[in-house]
Amino acid sequence: MIKIEHLSVAFDGPEVVRDVSFTIGDGEILGVVGESGSGKSVTALTLMGLVSESAHVTSGKIYYDDQLLLEAGKPRDNALYREYQGPKMSMVFQEPMTSLNPTMKVGAQVEEMLLLHDRKCLGESIASAPKQNEIQTQKGQLADAEGVKMEEAKTRYAVGFTGWREERKKEKARRKNRVLEALRGVGLREAERVYDCYPHQLSGGMRQRVMIAMAVILHPGLIVADEPTTALDVTVQNQIIELLKKINQEQKNSLLFITHDLNLARRLCDRILVMQDGLIVESGHTEDIFNDPKGEYTKKLISAVPGRTGKRKSPHEKIRPLVEVRDLSVFYRENANSLFGKTVKKCVVHHADFTVYEGEILGLVGESGCGKTSLSKAILGLNKMTEGSVTHHSNSPQMVFQDPYSSLNPMKTVGWLLQEPLRAQGILDPSKAMSEKDREAAAHDMLRKVGMSEKYFTRRPSQLSGGQRQRISIGQALITRPGLVIADEPVSALDVTIQAQILELIRSLQEELKTSFLFISHDINVIYQVSDRIMVMKDGKILEIGETEEVFQHPKDPYTKELLR
Amino acid sequence: MKKFGAWFQKQNMYLLVGLLMTGLAVVLGILSFFWTPYGTTTMSVAERFHAPSLRHLFGTDNFGRDIFSRVMQGIGTTVIVSSLIVLISASAGILIGAVTGYFGGILDEVIMRITDAVNAFPSILLALVVISILGSGKQNVVLSLGIVFTPSYVRIVRSEFIRLRDSDFVCRARLMGVSKLRILFIHILPNIWSVFWVSVTIGFNNAILAESGMSYLGIGVQPPDASLGKMLSDAQGYLGRAPWYALAPGLTIVWIVLGFSLLSEGVRRKEEKKK
Repeated sequence: MIKIEHLSVAFDGPEVVRDVSFTIGDGEILGVVGESGSGKSVTALTLMGLVSESAHVTSGKIYYDDQLLLEAGKPRDNALYREYQGPKMSMVFQEPMTSLNPTMKVGAQVEEMLLLHDRKCLGESIASAPKQNEIQTQKGQLADAEGVKMEEAKTRYAVGFTGWREERKKEKARRKNRVLEALRGVGLREAERVYDCYPHQLSGGMRQRVMIAMAVILHPGLIVADEPTTALDVTVQNQIIELLKKINQEQKNSLLFITHDLNLARRLCDRILVMQDGLIVESGHTEDIFNDPKGEYTKKLISAVPGRTGKRKSPHEKIRPLVEVRDLSVFYRENANSLFGKTVKKCVVHHADFTVYEGEILGLVGESGCGKTSLSKAILGLNKMTEGSVTHHSNSPQMVFQDPYSSLNPMKTVGWLLQEPLRAQGILDPSKAMSEKDREAAAHDMLRKVGMSEKYFTRRPSQLSGGQRQRISIGQALITRPGLVIADEPVSALDVTIQAQILELIRSLQEELKTSFLFISHDINVIYQVSDRIMVMKDGKILEIGETEEVFQHPKDPYTKELLR
Repeated sequence: MKKFGAWFQKQNMYLLVGLLMTGLAVVLGILSFFWTPYGTTTMSVAERFHAPSLRHLFGTDNFGRDIFSRVMQGIGTTVIVSSLIVLISASAGILIGAVTGYFGGILDEVIMRITDAVNAFPSILLALVVISILGSGKQNVVLSLGIVFTPSYVRIVRSEFIRLRDSDFVCRARLMGVSKLRILFIHILPNIWSVFWVSVTIGFNNAILAESGMSYLGIGVQPPDASLGKMLSDAQGYLGRAPWYALAPGLTIVWIVLGFSLLSEGVRRKEEKKK
């Protein structure tokens, strides 16, 4: 149905998509897998005609049902594309927060699709004979629509202006009904309520469902989904995947699914393309690729995916407790930042009670907003609004954050950053003060430990990649040899191969330095790979805590079971 | 020639022209302390109202003084006074803005309301009040305009500190046990330079204009010191007879302000390119 031939796209500079050719069959789900910067999104945006004007298509052609959409060397035919965008192909974006208009009600936004395209689309699909398999599903609907149109025209002439207004009202009601139907179709149970909501009143998952409803309401032949689940929690992710599957089966449209997550691609796609540096390095049926990867890169990608095998060995012994958390509740002050503002206390962690032992990695898993970060901040003493007690049996704990771009001071060099904890320690406790030379030596030593060469010593964070920054972050946290390091989603912002390297680094450093980690993640597979024990958290409560194997084999709480699915 | 063209293309023209213009002005201003073509207070009845010529580049005024020499001295005064104004207001702005922005709370609220009040008055008017209390003179102009311009820096610095105080790297510095003072001035401060530099250059231009304005009103630099604003006000009685008398200091102010604007724009673009 879609045919792309030798497509190359360049922005100012080198080509980011190089000689990409593929086809998407009717009703097929094609996955495009690759790390960030591999050109998968640019390919999809070019196909959709949404890529920015500064991109040049340097070679290749794109066909949609034998209709030439785009050819290299010719400017994009925007009028042609407008006929295709929406009724024939539509897109679901990654970020449900920004892809809906925050000032428009959700219902109106979905309805806009009908207002813009409905009539034209229906007219055209009558003219161009639909294919055999489409006839079955669309037959009734088309006949219906045609009837409605004829009727409408007749009545409009017959009854004059007032009658026409009546008719408009009816038409409006019909449109609303179709929107509500679409919203229900994507699993939004309270469609009536959602129709009148603004995007900010909905959760991320619901917003993504609305996006999908917008994409499928006109029954387009092709849906392009660019990382539709990346911004969502795991359990919601599962639901969205199921939904996409269901829609594909019901509407028989093709789906181009772009993701960096091989597990998702495996569950959803019929065929998979693997992209690297703008090239397609491998393509084939999903199971073939997973069972028998040909290319080196594909093998690397597949082995990097955190699975439920290859757990770290070294069973620890629970000897000495390092941090004891007893009956800890954490609160947040709301609206306290103005002169006469009233403060409202909000409880985000309820009665947490656990112990971190020396030399272990304790995994904390839960969805966003469940209180993981609040709990960690309370343990670190950054949040003072707590009840209960936290007892530390070692020096002050350190932290590694999720976002490697904001957790290093951008104005300083790597060497300075690595030495800063030592300097601070020296000022706090003069007995631990080190000479300039010792500090530098320690920093060099740590740089080697986190697997980076000497030449990075004088670089600034902006000159490093995300993975390298995260290495520096870890080095910075470990350089004072703290008893506990809290790692808050340290690998979530990284590509899957980098992720595997960082996890490996954390494991080896942990074994070498015997530091305890509280490892926070939303990804249960990552947690499985690094943790000795796991803690499951939901809505501020700790549901379950136990040995990793034990929890994975015999989950007690229904929520844990849901996570493990 | 072709080589020059290529070199020309690559240059940051804002920076280049800005540097040339301000550079020339600053050199003339500094030079005026040691040497001027004629004495700045040497009067001569015979030479009154000479039009610009090779002998007197900008002509002579109603006392027969060489306007070019006086403009040179005026530049010197203006640049030094404005620099001091910026120095005072910017350092006060950094101190107050950093503390209020980082710690927040009641102190922040109170100081912000005070800056709101200061901002509500036209700056010249407020400076007038200060001058009427302290008396006129160069140092009082510096002090009063320094106070008047402080709130704008406080606002900028404060908002940047608020933006950065909860950022991850500051949070980690706190965990390392870095002292508050060190966090404020060694961890956060370097990160606001690019924003701060732009406001400093804008503030410098405003200071030049305000100083000239005050001297024009007669409450700034006092005679016999030359100041560009003072010269303007002296010249307005002879606008028909000797237009060059007004044009020379006026165009000089335009020259300096334009040069400095170009310079700041050039620096901003350079910083952006770096990022």
